[in-house]
Amino acid sequence: MNNEQTLTRSAILDCASLSTREINQQLRALAAAGVERVQVLNPAGRHNLAVGLSTPIEIHFCGPVGYYCGGLGDGVQIEVAGGCGWSVGENLMAGQLVIRGNASANAAASAHGGKIYVLGDAGPRAGISLKGATLIVTGNVGYGSAFMMQQGRLIICGNAGAGLADSIYDGEIFVAGRVHSLGADAQFGLITDEDRLLLNQELLPLGLEARDYDFKKIVCAQEFHHFKTRNFPNGKTRTNNQRHLHTRDH
Amino acid sequence: MEKRVLTTSDTFTPEIIDAIQERAELGRYLIRGYGAFRSVPRFDDLVFLTASLTRVPLEGDREPCATKTILGKRSCKRPIELDIPITIAGMSFGALSRNAKIALGRAATLLGTSTTTGDGGMLPEEREASSKLVYQCLPSRYGFNPTDLRKADAIEIVVGQGAKPGGGGLLLGQKVSPAVAGMRTLPEGVDQRSPSRHPDWIGPDDLKIKIEELREATDWQIPIYVKLGATRVKDDVKLAVKAGADVIVLDGMEGGTAATQSIFQEHVGIPTLPALVQAVEALQEAGVYGQVQLVISGGIRSGPDVAKALALGADAVSLGTASLIAMGCNKPIYLEDYHKLGTEPHHCHHCHTGLCPVGIATQDDELMARLPVEQATIHVANYLQALVMEVQSLTRACGKSNVHNLEREDLVALSLEASAMAKLPLAGTDFIAGQ
Repeated sequence: MNNEQTLTRSAILDCASLSTREINQQLRALAAAGVERVQVLNPAGRHNLAVGLSTPIEIHFCGPVGYYCGGLGDGVQIEVAGGCGWSVGENLMAGQLVIRGNASANAAASAHGGKIYVLGDAGPRAGISLKGATLIVTGNVGYGSAFMMQQGRLIICGNAGAGLADSIYDGEIFVAGRVHSLGADAQFGLITDEDRLLLNQELLPLGLEARDYDFKKIVCAQEFHHFKTRNFPNGKTRTNNQRHLHTRDH
Repeated sequence: MEKRVLTTSDTFTPEIIDAIQERAELGRYLIRGYGAFRSVPRFDDLVFLTASLTRVPLEGDREPCATKTILGKRSCKRPIELDIPITIAGMSFGALSRNAKIALGRAATLLGTSTTTGDGGMLPEEREASSKLVYQCLPSRYGFNPTDLRKADAIEIVVGQGAKPGGGGLLLGQKVSPAVAGMRTLPEGVDQRSPSRHPDWIGPDDLKIKIEELREATDWQIPIYVKLGATRVKDDVKLAVKAGADVIVLDGMEGGTAATQSIFQEHVGIPTLPALVQAVEALQEAGVYGQVQLVISGGIRSGPDVAKALALGADAVSLGTASLIAMGCNKPIYLEDYHKLGTEPHHCHHCHTGLCPVGIATQDDELMARLPVEQATIHVANYLQALVMEVQSLTRACGKSNVHNLEREDLVALSLEASAMAKLPLAGTDFIAGQ
């Protein structure tokens, strides 16, 4: 590859005097022009950087970013040299985000696909409403993480705050450290050899080995999947028959 | 023989006794479709003062009476242009059958207006059927994705719904078919209880950033609506405006749903009439009346309802339940299936069961087949057309050539409650209750 090709395939974008609007327009234009990599200088914690991008490109933010970095993305590779604000990778469909720092609240909220790595701690509600993406946090996660998770995978190498996986529908969570408490309808499951293999595959790209951690698995207990009627005399619960329940409600 | 007199308690009425015993059987709150059943002050409590000597009427059905409506003038490049001031409200594929969603889209297209997705994503057939489609962004984010976002003509961020402000959606397992479960990324047959808060933002300051995100993702092309369930209307409208909404959609407590706790429907939120008045005042106080448009919904049924809403300051109205009734909801056909649900035509609100006798609120293929798309389309289109004619008739009678020129001075109230809530004089007096 000669120097000219190198120049056309990569670019540097200095945000110092640009608005969010201009930054995103330029990122779109660079991706559309076939630029493969762009280094973004002075992101200065702006919100909504690189949102809604769907043309493949690698974006390297040289510094912290604000809310929603990479949100609504589809097939873009993003790396942040620094921390990020709320809802990084929100509603991600495909692609990858690597945060080399801490992430604030709601990391990977409602993300459908792709991978989000937080190489640090993530705040409250990490992986909230997760719908199929993989979120890997090498540090700790805050309270309410994986709240109403629907599908996907959350791997936490550190500790998890209170109410982990509250009201989870489906998906799987692995925690190496201490779990402060599980939320409603979450339960510990058995770790299988397949799980260990998978954890190894997920962590190896980060230079980590799953065998160095004592992972616990959390899954849905499915007690909330259907409304239940309590049978108080014997303390047991039963699931209503789905076909004819509720018809008498008014 | 001694005559027997049945006495009824006003506290423990037969309905209350039934409700207590049903809770005793179920061990949970009661769930049903539709909105508030209780009687509340409504548009029926207002009447028009049409033209006589002080004003000159226009000829009914002859002289032009404009109905064009533009939503989203504030900050986007492509506001929504509607031929009529009536839109179709958000109702999900899941709550409604595929045929019902397609028919709503086609009918709206025939009348040059918009329809809206719902809590379950954008059905491809719905997009195809709808010339103007509003894409809802709800707390659940079921099926929400950037590809469909870019196909939308407007985005509606749903904060609340009139039937259940403060509560999330419900879709009971009977309706979570393989297709619905697939679109929502949920286990098939699960009793789905949607969240009441958005996963990625919480307060109005966050909402401002969320709105910017959606604008960036759509290149600032299309309007962003914020839908509110009517509770603390003045504050909520001002906060939504401050957050950057182009359009406020406000849903009063008469607004319907396919399923929620009946306690929400009857005991939460305020009626559409006072909600509308408060929203207009909020927009005026915020200095954005005319820039930010207001769409009102919740129990709108007739041309007079629409005309009165416009006269009180709405830019458009949105229909949900009424559009379903137009296509056959509660029609006296398939009586045996109403009876299986323990109800009768004109009384059915059993959308939550998935056993809709007329094929509207169901995911059962056999039931859905009872709703031919063509027939449903024509019925909804005819109904919308009739409403427009009624609004135009009232507008011309008030001496106006544009439905948006209807104004508060064209109305008076028939009850003290309506006078106080609408801040209009009681008919035949200069008295405005509470002022």
